[in-house]
Amino acid sequence: MTDSRPLRAPPRAYVIAIVAVAGATLVGQIAAPYTSHADQAMVYLLAILVAALGGRGPGLTAAVLSAAAFDFFFVEPYHTFAVTDRSFLITFGVMLAIGVAIGSLVNRIRVAEAESRERELRAKAEQLRSTLLSSVSHDLRTPLAVITGMATSLRDGAVGEQREELDTIVGEAQRLSRILTNLLSITKVETGAQPKREWVPLDELIGSSLARLDNELADHPLTLDVADELAHVDPILTEQLLVNLVENAAKHTPAGCAIRVHARRDGNAAMIEVSDAGPGLPAGPPEQVFEKFFRGRGVKPGGVGLGLAVCRAIALAHGGRIAASPGPSSGAVFRVWFPDDGAPPKLADEPELARAV
Amino acid sequence: MTQAADTVLIVEDEAPMRRFLSAALQSHGFRVVEANTLSTAQRLAVEQHPDAILLDLGLPDGDGLSLVRDLRTWSSAPVIVLSARDREDDKVTALDAGADDYLTKPFGTSELLARIRVALRHARAQRVPDDPVLAVGAIKIDQARHEVSVDDGAVHLTPIEYRLLVMLARHAGKVLTHKQLLHEVWGPRTHHTHYLRVHMAALRRKIERDPARPRWITTEPGVGYRLLDR
Repeated sequence: MTDSRPLRAPPRAYVIAIVAVAGATLVGQIAAPYTSHADQAMVYLLAILVAALGGRGPGLTAAVLSAAAFDFFFVEPYHTFAVTDRSFLITFGVMLAIGVAIGSLVNRIRVAEAESRERELRAKAEQLRSTLLSSVSHDLRTPLAVITGMATSLRDGAVGEQREELDTIVGEAQRLSRILTNLLSITKVETGAQPKREWVPLDELIGSSLARLDNELADHPLTLDVADELAHVDPILTEQLLVNLVENAAKHTPAGCAIRVHARRDGNAAMIEVSDAGPGLPAGPPEQVFEKFFRGRGVKPGGVGLGLAVCRAIALAHGGRIAASPGPSSGAVFRVWFPDDGAPPKLADEPELARAV
Repeated sequence: MTQAADTVLIVEDEAPMRRFLSAALQSHGFRVVEANTLSTAQRLAVEQHPDAILLDLGLPDGDGLSLVRDLRTWSSAPVIVLSARDREDDKVTALDAGADDYLTKPFGTSELLARIRVALRHARAQRVPDDPVLAVGAIKIDQARHEVSVDDGAVHLTPIEYRLLVMLARHAGKVLTHKQLLHEVWGPRTHHTHYLRVHMAALRRKIERDPARPRWITTEPGVGYRLLDR
């Protein structure tokens, strides 16, 4: 058991147990001329009760000590642990039972308390994280939206050089917005947000990602080989991953260089592969490209080196993995696997609509 | 082709954003009224009878969602929600509550105008009877004969695919949420989005030349689908 912390009573609780029993013995001795065995046993039970509030260990300790002290001081023959009257065994039994019962109850309440406190803390952290993320997101996105919006308004009426300049403003604002999206996604995933997994056709995942990359893909012929199969993934996070992978390929290859996207099921996983025929991976171990803030040499300035780190974070959040390797003859190949239970839902075949009336 | 001064109510608490929206719309012939709080928006919606409403969901004095719900009890003016990329749940809630469409920040003037025009067109089309033949881009649907063609080539659909396509075509240019499509095609009790996704994938394989780069049926991730009308 790893979480025994709330179960172990502090040493203080044992001291209280011993003092309580000693106190009960003292009270019993002083009051002995005026009281019966039953009264003395009740005083010990009170001591056990007090000690058991410290947990099962102190409760049991007090019960054993009480039984021994009661026997030693108040049961004939006095000052021995011998018992002549068997009925006292019942008294000892009751003492033990009460000590253990109350102690266990206290333990259980403590564990429950600790658990609910932990749950509360976790919920609070989650709440804080999402509030922080959404306010950062809002505060940074609003100015970006204004810049993009106004620049497009001006661009519509502009000509020549000015139009190009405004194009640059719009493009850069959009790039900043993508960097922000990456920063927010990696923060979200790395601080423990769970992917919302659904069965999604591979076509749909790839289609919605490519739709966001029209500008980046303008100079790159694209080959698609996508099986009619399903992946069990968070569609929004996975789209972000694919956008980053394809954007990375477009960014690191010269204009005109082809990019291929291939997706299919591979055992109990969906596998998506993005490959290019560009200059290939930078020197060094291939995994380094997934490090945060890693930037290949000779890369056009402006990247922050987050795109592939986001890809890895999202793959890991799905319990999957991502790998980079050199292409068969040239270029780079990125593969990502999203494991699942291997049982995508099947729908009944439906007859085609009866034609004409 | 905008009719004489359609009125657009802009509900947005960020002044610079309001300025951009207002300038862009006015320069394209719209009349604009602005609100920076929910209460002003509620008042202006009643007083000005706007033809369309642009609504930022996060307002200082309340949730924009309540404006959508309130508005839908008495008005059919289209509502376009302004939202960020990572707020898909908010968009879906607003759309299912009666908002007509959304724009993801950042967006440009052309997107803004396109969304408003689609929304206004749909708001007006509700008053004219349905034509049995729906034509959206290269797609033609003969509802009387249950026949579908793309670029004049016949396409054979299953009943579910047909119903999905008709629903999308009736709302061409507008986003439809997963829930709206599921409800229309399978009835109110189905919540399995993957049914919808799988049938939509099959429909795309019949309609689109390249189903992973759709020309007509686009995916709005985390929200739903849209049939492009251009």
